[in-house]
Amino acid sequence: MEDGKQDALMRRPEDALQRVPVPPERIVTPVADLFETGDAFIMKLDMPGTAKECIHLSIESDRLAIRASVAVPHPASAHVLFSEIGHKKYLREFNLGDGIDRDKIDALYEDGVLTILLPKTEALRPRTIPIR
Amino acid sequence: MLMRFDLPRTYDSLLDDVMRWDVRPTTRSFSPAVDVAEQENEMVVRMELPGVKKEDVKIVFENDVLTISGERKPYEIPDDAKVLLNEMRVRQFSRSIEFGPDIDAARISAGMDNGILRVILPKAEAARPRTIEVK
Repeated sequence: MEDGKQDALMRRPEDALQRVPVPPERIVTPVADLFETGDAFIMKLDMPGTAKECIHLSIESDRLAIRASVAVPHPASAHVLFSEIGHKKYLREFNLGDGIDRDKIDALYEDGVLTILLPKTEALRPRTIPIR
Repeated sequence: MLMRFDLPRTYDSLLDDVMRWDVRPTTRSFSPAVDVAEQENEMVVRMELPGVKKEDVKIVFENDVLTISGERKPYEIPDDAKVLLNEMRVRQFSRSIEFGPDIDAARISAGMDNGILRVILPKAEAARPRTIEVK
């Protein structure tokens, strides 16, 4: 079917419109929500199409980097007619303040959403001082 | 954002077969990103639906139009939480894609994995490629 000499009459109209190849892999910044509770910061990132084995969290000089790869969406033989999702990687970075307990950071990937729990250090947690 | 491909009417009948399509967002909901690919025996639609539970997705195929709609429900946050950043869109979504008449509607299937909805629309027997042996 990929023969360039194929009779033009046999070519379907969408072929004429969609001659563009699948765009190359691009880097996407996932959208994020962040909220703070008494004990922790909780971050959520929309990262559909990846898998927990493909997500990497790293901390380097106060910078939390979230990276993930997404599997190639279609087999090579597929004729891609519309490609808004395409082939991509996720990358987003955040600066961490001193108040985060780095050893206790925890993450969970579910339904295409990555949730990162960033516990506060003792010093940053709210304290109630009893009155004697 | 309106995306629409008007294909020439002159291609009717034979050439206007598997997919005369049209992707149109509705106004009061958002329009999730999709990929559409044609494989030998089926059309495959993938839609990004992070944070959406499968029971909150509705898929309808009617008059050659596939409509995927539903709602992304808000996740729970503790009462005392202070929101510092809120970029996620938590609301209703809907998107329709028009196919040609050669979809075997009875055999359409769908699955959801890691925030991606995948709908498989098998082509009707008549629309599949065939190799004819010379006798």
